[in-house]
Parts: sequence; C-alpha cells; structure tokens
Amino acid sequence: MLKCTINGKPVEVKPGTSIIQAFKQLGEEIAHYCWHPALSVAGVCRLCMVEIEGNPRLQIACNTTVAEGMVVTNQSEKVKDAVKWGMDFHLINHPLDCPICDQAGECGLQDQYMKFGKYDPEMAEKKVNKRKVVDLGERVVLDSERCILCSRCVRFTEEITKTNELGIFNRGDRSEIGTFEGKPLDNNYSVNTVDICPVGALTSKDFRFKQRVWFLKDKASICNGCSTGCNVEVDYNKEGIWRLRPRYNEQVNGYWMCDVGRDVYKNVNRVHTDVEGERGEKQVKKSISRLVQAVHRLNGQSEYMQTGFAVSKVRETLSQYKKGDVALVVTGQQTSEEYEALLSYFTKSFAADDVFHWQNNPEAWGEFDGLLLRGDRNPNTKGLIKAFEKHKVKSTAWTQDLGKYKLVLLVAPENLAAYPNIREKADLLKNNKTVVVLTTSQIPEFANLPDETWQIPMKSFMEKAGTFVNFSGLEQKFAPVTTIVDAAVSADEFVAALNGQALEQVQKIYTNPTERVENQFIFQRGSL
Amino acid sequence: MAEVKMLTEHYADNNFQTIEGYQSKKGYEMLKKALNMQPTEIISLVKESGLRGRGGAGFPTGMKWSFLPNNGEDRYLLCNADEGEPCTFKDRMMMERAPHQLIEGMIISAFAVQSKKSYIYIRGEYTHAIKVVEKAIKEAYKAGFLGKDILGSHFSHDMDVYSGAGAYICGEETGMISSLEGLKGQPKLKPPFPAVKGYLGKPTIVNNVETLASVIYILRDGVEAYRKFGTQKSPGTKLFSVSGDVMKPGNYEVPLGYKMKDLIEIECGGLKPGRKLKAVIPGGTSAPVLTEEEANRATLDYECLADMKSMLGSGSIVVIDDSRCMVDLLGVITHFYHHESCGQCTPCREGTGWLNKVVNAIKAGRGSQQDIDTLCKIADNMKGRTICALSDAAALPVLSFVPKFRSEFEYYIREGKSQVRGISYAEMHH
Repeated sequence: MLKCTINGKPVEVKPGTSIIQAFKQLGEEIAHYCWHPALSVAGVCRLCMVEIEGNPRLQIACNTTVAEGMVVTNQSEKVKDAVKWGMDFHLINHPLDCPICDQAGECGLQDQYMKFGKYDPEMAEKKVNKRKVVDLGERVVLDSERCILCSRCVRFTEEITKTNELGIFNRGDRSEIGTFEGKPLDNNYSVNTVDICPVGALTSKDFRFKQRVWFLKDKASICNGCSTGCNVEVDYNKEGIWRLRPRYNEQVNGYWMCDVGRDVYKNVNRVHTDVEGERGEKQVKKSISRLVQAVHRLNGQSEYMQTGFAVSKVRETLSQYKKGDVALVVTGQQTSEEYEALLSYFTKSFAADDVFHWQNNPEAWGEFDGLLLRGDRNPNTKGLIKAFEKHKVKSTAWTQDLGKYKLVLLVAPENLAAYPNIREKADLLKNNKTVVVLTTSQIPEFANLPDETWQIPMKSFMEKAGTFVNFSGLEQKFAPVTTIVDAAVSADEFVAALNGQALEQVQKIYTNPTERVENQFIFQRGSL
Repeated sequence: MAEVKMLTEHYADNNFQTIEGYQSKKGYEMLKKALNMQPTEIISLVKESGLRGRGGAGFPTGMKWSFLPNNGEDRYLLCNADEGEPCTFKDRMMMERAPHQLIEGMIISAFAVQSKKSYIYIRGEYTHAIKVVEKAIKEAYKAGFLGKDILGSHFSHDMDVYSGAGAYICGEETGMISSLEGLKGQPKLKPPFPAVKGYLGKPTIVNNVETLASVIYILRDGVEAYRKFGTQKSPGTKLFSVSGDVMKPGNYEVPLGYKMKDLIEIECGGLKPGRKLKAVIPGGTSAPVLTEEEANRATLDYECLADMKSMLGSGSIVVIDDSRCMVDLLGVITHFYHHESCGQCTPCREGTGWLNKVVNAIKAGRGSQQDIDTLCKIADNMKGRTICALSDAAALPVLSFVPKFRSEFEYYIREGKSQVRGISYAEMHH
C-alpha cells in the first residue's frame, strides 16, 4: 500500500492506483468528463487537473499514478482557475439549450459549472454549428453541438461491446461523433452510451421528451429480463415507470445493462405498446394492458369483480377438489417467496406430481452473449428449481394437454416478450373446465378459454418485495418500487387468501392511490 | 565564422542523389565502420557529441536512445520526415538532395539501438521527396546496405517509406505513431513514452531527418571534431530555413551559436532595400516572435533562444520587415493552428478556434479593446494543459505577438485598419 495525501487528508492506496481513483476512494470531489472507471484513460477533457507538490506543471489525475508520499491537491487557486477555464473551453461552443435538453438536471456540464465554474462567459464569437438530431441507431439520437467529445461512447463500443460502431470524425473544433455509412449503432448495449454520456449529446429515443428528470424518483431494483439479474435503478413518478438505468454491482453487471432489459419496465406500466417493424416505418403492432380487475368469464360472459371476492370464489371452487384434480403451472418469472407460498400450499392440498414448469425455449437457456444477456429470459429459474427441490416436486416441463385436470391454476409470465409461444400453450388448456390465471397483463389467449376462466390481477416485480436467484445462484433481494395496479396481488398474497386470510389484510399497497394519476400520457406518447 | 558545409557539402552535386554519386563521396563508408563497432559504443559517441534533436524540441539524442528498455522486445526506429512546422523546409531538401545520407544515418542509428525495422514517415505533400527516398531505398537494398545480414555483420534491417496525409499533428511523435499504426493521427497520452511503448506497443525511437543524418558525421569526425562547431550545450551545425523579407531566402547550414543578425545580413543578403527589420520568428511559427532588438543580439542555439523565452525549434527563421502588419500575421498563424488541432483535448480544440475568431474579429474591424486581454487569457490557459504541444504552439505566438506589438493591435481595434498598411483587411481583399 502507498501512502499519499489528498487535499490534506492522508489516504492509503494500492500501487498502480491513479490519482483520480484515490480521490474517488476518499470521496473527494474532482471534476472530470472523459474518465470512466470501466473504460480506458483518454485524458482529453483536461478537467481533472491537480497540483502535485514539487511539480510546477498541473497534471491530470486520471493518467498520473500515485507515488509514495505524494501530496496532491485540487483546492489550490491554480487548479481552481485551470478547472474554471477548462469548463469555459467546454462551454464556448456548447449550445446551452438546457431548457429543451433531456439531460438537464443530470448533466455533467450543469453540475460542474455549479461546482467549479460560476463565471461570466467571455466568448463573444459565433459558435460552431454542427449536426442536430442525428439518428445513430435503433435507440440512440445524437446532438453534435451538445457533444463535448469526451469519447466515452466511442471507447464503450471499442472496449466493452467491441463492435466499434462509433468514431470521431473530422478534427479540431469540427470533430463530431458519428457512425459509418450503413453501420448504425445497434448493438444490444447501445443505451449504455446514453448513460455514460456526461451531457445531452446522446439521448435515448425511448425516454427523450417524456419527463424532466427532476420529476422522477428512483429506487433500486433487479431487472427481470433474463437470468443475469442486472441491478437497476428504476425512475418513476406518479404516472408510472419511465426508464431503467444500470446500478453498479461488480459481481453481477458492473456498470452496464442490456437494451433488452431496458424494456422490461413497459410490462409494469398500465398500458404499453410493443413496437415492431423496420426503422423509419414504425408501426404499432399490439398494445398490452395491465389487468386491473379480476375477471370471471363463464359461457362467454365476462363479469368484473373485486380481487378479494374473486379469490374467495376460487377458494370455494378449490375446496371441492382433491389430490389429482388440480394442476399448478408456474414459470421462472416469480420471486422465490412466491414459489415458497405456492408450492407449500399446493403440495399440502394437492399432488406434488401435478406441478408443471412452463419453460420458454429451454434449448436456448445455455446461451450467453458474452457480456450480460443470457438465453434464459427468466429472472428466477434457479429459484424455482430450488423451491421444487425443497418441496420434493418433480419438475415436469409443461408440454402436454392438461385436460385431465378439473382445475388448472396458472401463474402466467410477466415478461410476455420472452414467451412467444402463448398461443400453443393456451391450446393445451382448451379441454379444461376451469382455469385460474394469475397474470399481470391482459392476455387475450387466456381470456378466451372455452369453459370457465378466472383472471386474477397479479403484481409485477416492481410492485412487490422478493428475491431472484440468478444464473450463478446469487440471491438478490429487492424492494417494491411503487404500486401501479391497486387490485393486483402477489402470488403469496393470493395463497394467503386461499388459506383463509382476508385479502385486504394481506395485500400490501406501497403507494397511496391518491398520489397517483391515471396515466393517459403513456399511451398517447407511445414510443416516439 | 560563416556557413559550414558538413551535411550539405555535396548537395549542389546532382549525382549525390544516386547511390553511385553518394558512394563516390565516401558514402556508406561510415556504415561499414559502424557495423564493426559495438552498438553501445555508437550510443556513447552520440551521447558525448551532445547532438540534440533537430525536429524542434532539442532533446539530447543519445539520451533518448538510452531510454530503450532492455527487455528483448522488437524495437522500431522511426524517422520523422513529416516536416509540418510552417516555414520549415530543410528536411525536404535533405531528402531530395541526399536520400542516401538519411538512409545511411538511419541504418547506423538502427544498428546502435538494435532495431530491425524502420519507417521514414514523409509528409504527404512531399511527393518528390517520397519518390526520391523510395528509389534510394531500393538502391540501398540492391547494394546490400539494407536487408538481411548487412555487409556480413549479422545485422539485418528493413526500411520503408510511409506517406503522411497532410496533417500537421502527425509530426508530433505519438501522433505520427498513431498514423503509422493506421489510426487517426492523434497524439497518445504520455506516459508511457514511445521509447517504452511506441509503435504497435513496442519500444520506439523517433528522430528527425537531420538528427539521423548528423550521426554519420559524428562517427566520421569523432566527438571532438564535431564539438568544434557550436556551443557547449548546442554542439554541431544545423540547417536553418530562412524565409520572409530577405534577399536570399533558403536553407543555410551554420554552426549553432551563430549570430542571427549575421545569418540574415551576410548569408541571406540582408533585407530588401529600404526596409527595416521589425521582428523575427526564430523556430517555426510556434516559436515566440523576437523583436528587432532581441533578434539583433540573438545567437542561434538552444540556450540563448530559451533565455529569450523563445525557442530554436526546427530552425526555420521568418524575417519580418516593417511593411508587415503583425495582426495579419497572427491571423495567419492562428488560422493554421485552428485548422490543424486534432480535436482531442478540449482546451486546444476549442481554444485554437476561439483565438482565431478573436483575431478575425479584430481584422474585420469588430474588435474591442478587451479582446487583447481575452487573447492572452485564452492562450495562457491553453498552455501546458494538453496531451501534446500543439496547444502550446498555438498559444505561444499569441503570447508573444500581442504583448510585444500591443500598439499595433490597439491601433487596429481603435481605427479598424492596419497601422502598417493604413487600410483594413476588408479593403485589402476587396
């Protein structure tokens, strides 16, 4: 370990640590744009200037390694003046269009200006004009004038995805980020470039123009898009969920998450649209809504009712059946707590052999893209298998017609994008008399089953607490973010009600309904 | 003491370009001598000779060579012939007139640093020089001075020419390495320095054309004879490219320490009749300008010019007489650096453009007295804040032109026209 002094505070660091890392380790503030802990050192923004005792020239903290006994400061007047000027150089050609910029509120330029700038601009000349609204790819838009050419995005595509779509073209103050002809930025990690962009140059097509960030709250959660279980930050407000951002976890996802995972919040909002089709000629393929009320459908007649009433009716029906009459179908999309509740209830009342595991393309489960995304698009397959083992349930993949059962209790998947074979699975249920479906979304295939169907609105993963066990067996607990559907129950609340408790007493609502507004905008704005 | 023709002795001989002509003047004799020496012996000779890099920075060559790590890795020798500093044209003449001199110097240097491969990175605009050097390399291969087992010494060396594409920044050694690697010509962060991690990540030595050619004469004459020319800290002779308002502009080889006044008045035939000296840029446009008084007492060596807060640079002397407007000249210089900044580091990328815009505003009659301070403040904050020295190169002319000729700037801003020419820039170009 090396001893050094930073801003008068002693600190011990590992050999090879750069000065900027030592600053971070100590929690000292230091201005920087181009440096990112997961990327190589570029040393181009020239903001992380520090004064090292005995060295007349200011040095950049990112490319200087700590030496034993080094005395470093960024509090001297010399450094402050250099940083102030560094800010000025960044801003002279920046359009300063904060009022219409999506980055406003979380912008590196704004933050550093408030911390280190606060000067009157001296630039009186005409600014350099560059391209605006450059379509870089499926999910990312570039505004070249806002860009400060820190090269983080370029280094990201070079070093992390190794796809090299981005480059800096031209030179001097005519430099611009860009893509090559016919080679858009469309790798599965493209939105990370938006996250690491310190300014409003790169914006996400999904999020831009939708919310001002200061109207959003954020809470930690776990992505349910695949078995990796990336740690995410959920940005939400009373209208619903707006975006997911990766949350640093060295063990799981580092600083990144994939674009597939970015979309999982859409399953949580009340109405969302699934857009498919070629870029430029987008068409809305289907819109999916959350199931907001319990539905009982008998002989083609639908009856809407309160969840508590529906559950008590289901309870009555179930009480008539004995072992062998009832089947339970589950997916890898629920929390470990829900599996525990479901399986202990079911194995007590019915036969353990009648539990079926609904698997979505299990042949692809071993796949891995080398970075984060895994072929098993369920967040908790490992948790389900663990629960099966605990309750001595033979894990049977659901492939046969369940016509022999009098009642099928089906816990439908939450992330429908990962379940393309719903139609054929619904066919396996067409000979059943009664089907009880716990589902987050309205699934038309299950709503039109022949005989009697109960649809119970289920909570999405952001509306309940729980645990996901990821591909490597790592248990990750998460807390609820907000409540979107008041009537929804989690599977364990449902089971508690089946066991005779009053639903009102077991159902947890995390956000008071009066704090929420009906979200009309999500549908209207759709996907821009 | 006047012109000393050491490097340029036979440059007038057209035959000197060919291998026969070069050998008839004892060419490649020193290569034979060198191959019989120990590589470390040559390095010590160069060290003792005090030879300093002729490209601009004036770094001691022998010391640079000794920075190479002894880790058994492949090493590269790169010849920097991307002569981009405005008003410099010595390397061009050397390559066109005496390509074999460069090649011999390079083989000797490569042997000294034990490099098996070298490249000559020639400025793209020098199409003729590229042809001449390429032809000379072929001749050298044919004669057995390049290739495997050179002259039975077990030392093998390959040499190639690489043409630049017209970017000033590729004359910066790490920018040149990036360009040579096929990347965008942008300087790399230092440390690590090229001697440790350079071309393709291997230890690399980058030397100027003149530096490499000088090695031959250190070997030929010995350290003492070489040191007879020049000063204690700046030994040897150097080529100076003199341009501007003199009667006989051109390349002149004089010993270092030579009086600038003599070079202008004796070798270059003085100024045009009736004109008076106003200023001299001593080392390419990036070197701070000298006033008449400073120019008259300046000697052409690294230390004297450093004392005057300027630099010898690449040795290109721009003589400016009293018919020139300093505001216009600064406009030309700031335009150049704005055009050539690679755009990597923010202070340089934004600052070079800003400087140019302010000078242009003054020239267009839109200037304000505050602009003078603004120019100095911008330049001050570009200096020493970037990866390479281009930012300094852009800042130093401003920091010398403006304070030293402040009255001309003030006049231009106040009157909207040049003090010297009496008309505005717009009128001149009408």
